[in-house]
Amino acid sequence: MGECIYFAPTEIGEAVRLLAEYREKVTVVAGGTDLLPKINYYQLKPEVLLHIGRLGLDYIKEADGKLVIGAATPTSKLASNPLVAERASALAEAARQSGSAAIRTTATIGGNLANASPAADLATPLLILDAELLLTSTRGNRKVAINDFFVGPGKTVLEPDELLIEVSLPHQKGKSVFLKLGRRKAMTLSVVNVAVRLEMEGAQCKDARIALGAMAPVPLRCTRAESLIKGQVLDKSLIDRCAAEAVAESSPIDDQRATSWYRKKAGTVLVARALARAADMEG
Amino acid sequence: MTEYVGKPIPRYDGIGHVTGRTTFVDDIHLPGMLYIKVLLSPVHKGIIRHLDVSAAERMPGVAGVITAKDVPGKNAYGLIPDQPVFTPEHIRYKGERIAAVAAVDEDTAMEALEKIKLEIEEQTPVFDPFEAMQPDAPLVRPEGNVWVFNSGTTRKIRLGDVEEGFKQADYIIEGTYTNSTNDHAPMEPQVSVAYIDETDRLAIHTVSQDLYFHLGMLSAIFNLPMNKIRYIGGTVGGGFGAKNDIHCDHVAGLMALKIRKPVKYRLTRHEEMLYTTKRGPWTFEFKDGVKKDGRIVARKVRTIHDTGAYSGMGPYVVDKNAILVAGPFAIPNIWIDGICVYTNKPPASSMRGFGIINGTSAEQLQMNRIAEAIGMDPWEIRFINAWRDGDIGATQFTVVAAGLIEAMKRAAELAGVELPERLKAMSSRGR
Amino acid sequence: MKYILSFVLNGQPVDVLAEPTDTLLDVLREKLRVMSPKRGCDEGDCGACTVLLNGEPVRSCLTLALSVAGQEVMTVEGLSKNGKLHPLQRAFHEHYAAQCGFCTPGMILAAKALLDKNPHPTREEIVEAISGNLCRCGTYQEVLEAVQAVARGEYAEVKE
Ligand SMILES: Cc1cc2nc3c(=O)[nH]c(=O)nc-3n(C[C@H](O)[C@H](O)[C@H](O)COP(=O)(O)OP(=O)(O)OC[C@H]3O[C@@H](n4cnc5c(N)ncnc54)[C@H](O)[C@@H]3O)c2cc1C
Ligand code: FES
Ligand code: FES
Repeated sequence: MGECIYFAPTEIGEAVRLLAEYREKVTVVAGGTDLLPKINYYQLKPEVLLHIGRLGLDYIKEADGKLVIGAATPTSKLASNPLVAERASALAEAARQSGSAAIRTTATIGGNLANASPAADLATPLLILDAELLLTSTRGNRKVAINDFFVGPGKTVLEPDELLIEVSLPHQKGKSVFLKLGRRKAMTLSVVNVAVRLEMEGAQCKDARIALGAMAPVPLRCTRAESLIKGQVLDKSLIDRCAAEAVAESSPIDDQRATSWYRKKAGTVLVARALARAADMEG
Repeated sequence: MTEYVGKPIPRYDGIGHVTGRTTFVDDIHLPGMLYIKVLLSPVHKGIIRHLDVSAAERMPGVAGVITAKDVPGKNAYGLIPDQPVFTPEHIRYKGERIAAVAAVDEDTAMEALEKIKLEIEEQTPVFDPFEAMQPDAPLVRPEGNVWVFNSGTTRKIRLGDVEEGFKQADYIIEGTYTNSTNDHAPMEPQVSVAYIDETDRLAIHTVSQDLYFHLGMLSAIFNLPMNKIRYIGGTVGGGFGAKNDIHCDHVAGLMALKIRKPVKYRLTRHEEMLYTTKRGPWTFEFKDGVKKDGRIVARKVRTIHDTGAYSGMGPYVVDKNAILVAGPFAIPNIWIDGICVYTNKPPASSMRGFGIINGTSAEQLQMNRIAEAIGMDPWEIRFINAWRDGDIGATQFTVVAAGLIEAMKRAAELAGVELPERLKAMSSRGR
Repeated sequence: MKYILSFVLNGQPVDVLAEPTDTLLDVLREKLRVMSPKRGCDEGDCGACTVLLNGEPVRSCLTLALSVAGQEVMTVEGLSKNGKLHPLQRAFHEHYAAQCGFCTPGMILAAKALLDKNPHPTREEIVEAISGNLCRCGTYQEVLEAVQAVARGEYAEVKE
């Protein structure tokens, strides 16, 4: 494997300077759980590896009423942190269901998002929690709503010289739910996953967020399905129509994990189940 | 005997396993050892028109390159030796070996592979065994796409007169069942370490499940008498049939013979999954004649086994399958035709049961289908038809020490199923 | 380019030359010849390469070697003290929790990481903790029983 150089800066300023200098040649590594399989199998031959594990981006805190998570925070901490459990239960649940213990130790939230897999488990909860991402470069900082972050499979709005450094979640009302269907119970990528958040007043839905994973080229906010139930009194038949609408907004593909046909069937069931659970209409 | 039966005996290799000291083949490291990577065919079917390894040979860090020309003995192996170690000309599946490089490390060997000039005239492959059986199908093999048994293009089992049996039947019940390809996926991937030892013998550390089988094949490939090969095995990180075929020892041995240095050849999980032997896919076509009382009076089965590009253990598993696919049931008229078909896929071979459990899964599904079709309990259909001592099996043998009924009774007990008294009263000792 | 990597392996400081693309598994097996972590897939799926990094289970095949600079790595070689087997090693041996043995080092370390944090896990917690470690021989039930036996204190007398 040709000569590769390695940096593990301890300051963000240094990291973005290196990114500005080497641009496309740099491969940013956080936990490496998405990258290493490609490197080990010669599918990726990096020229410059920039390890971001020493930048101090491993934190979960509350600031200005927001829940703020450093990009290099491992999934294991999202799964066990009480603040995440309280403020973003769907995210905590998605983290718990990601990979296995040894994957969660190193896999990071930033890596999960920047890798931009349509099946990324942390993406759908962040979509329904209106997360905002903080990107930085030598040109300055910018904030991107998560809904604008993903461009296609493996593609985001990140410029080659930019680093994702933080994910922040505004204070949210309502109950959030994450459900995942994989090919086995543990250590499995999503065949389909769904996250929903409902703000209820009695049986009436004041506000709704619905997102589907592994059902489109990007993790998908289902806005048409959301508007179908906003302001409405929820019952089983409306929930079923809403679930069907959410899946109608998606465009799943056939791949080694499942067929498009199966994803649509399973997705409809999962959305309906998640809605019922978020509306406390089911145990 | 009673000293041991029913008592736990400590495993002699247990301490090695729990301390990590057990030495698996990939754990062996020898001074100056070189690493092998193999150029695998990127196409499913074709003819090699040009192969030039000289640039790879000249690369710094490369110790040697071998191709079909470097096989001193027979360039073929397998239970029926028909698969080349390196293909000299015809490519029959994607992943077929073309050349091997030994270098100081695997990264260098990979780079050297990129320097090999290879031109292939691509041909149209065939993947579906039913298509491959058609007269105008692309030929996987020059001799034709269907394996020829002693009894012709099918492995035949005949008992009684199946057409006569159908005439006596009240119901005719048909069913088609398929199995897909399986990889054995032992946790330890395929690997081999080879070197010339101090007595000038070729030593090979192997993960083989079949040392004596493979020793004979290797002796023919290397053109070396068996006593010149030290074939060292015994520690296997799981096999499940994957290690019933040679995957690395021939390549490693040939390389060690040529460059006279220790070498290691190991497959990546991807290479193993994509290109090594598999449990091949099957199709089973059942037609059964059944009386109103549930007795099966005729069973006709056609089995189609996709053995990939080489025979592997295909003909052997078709043979075993044919003998057993009618199931442990007293059926007076049986007709079985087993077909073994070549396609442009990695060779199929043994996996946990040599074709038997595939047949059993189909045959047991068919039993349920019969039960459903005639409105009988699935336990009852099996009890009624189960072998008793003295029944005649498909291959015309007399059943002795039958035990299915007793096994089913015990299974029902363990599953918490209350069987009706008339079934409980049955016994394998008679009808 | 090669870099000097210094870290603590089973309590001992080590220095080794590593390429940026080397994984921790490459360095342990191919350079330091620490052979208990096994290479089963090189892509994170099997768990045979599991080691402990600062006490947490990680896939050594997915861990950049250089990223462990200054940190503590533990392999099964570091488990037995003064020739005495760790309780988990004894329990695995006596419960037949190793068949071919290829998954065993990773399995033991996954179990150790669990018990260090949670000495009395439920059945479900044990199942979850080893869910990333595949055993093709199918020793899961025996592994479960071995871990439960240790959690019950049956192997306590040699606990450090
Ligand atoms: C066995 C196994 C099981 C898995 N199971 C799951 C699962 O259940 N659910 C799931 O969603 N995923 C799963 N994954 C995928 C993976 O673990 C996650 O996507 C993980 O969160 C990636 O994080 P990482 O830190 O390891 O990423 P890395 O591999 O370090 O990086 C991934 C990509 O993101 C880029 N990147 C990383 N951080 C940044 C940053 N801060 N700024 C800019 N770019 C960045 C990298 O350059 C790279 O392109 C699994 C992976 C494996 C190997
Ligand atoms: S070798 Fe690391 S998980 Fe398989
Ligand atoms: S004991 Fe063989 S893989 Fe687990």
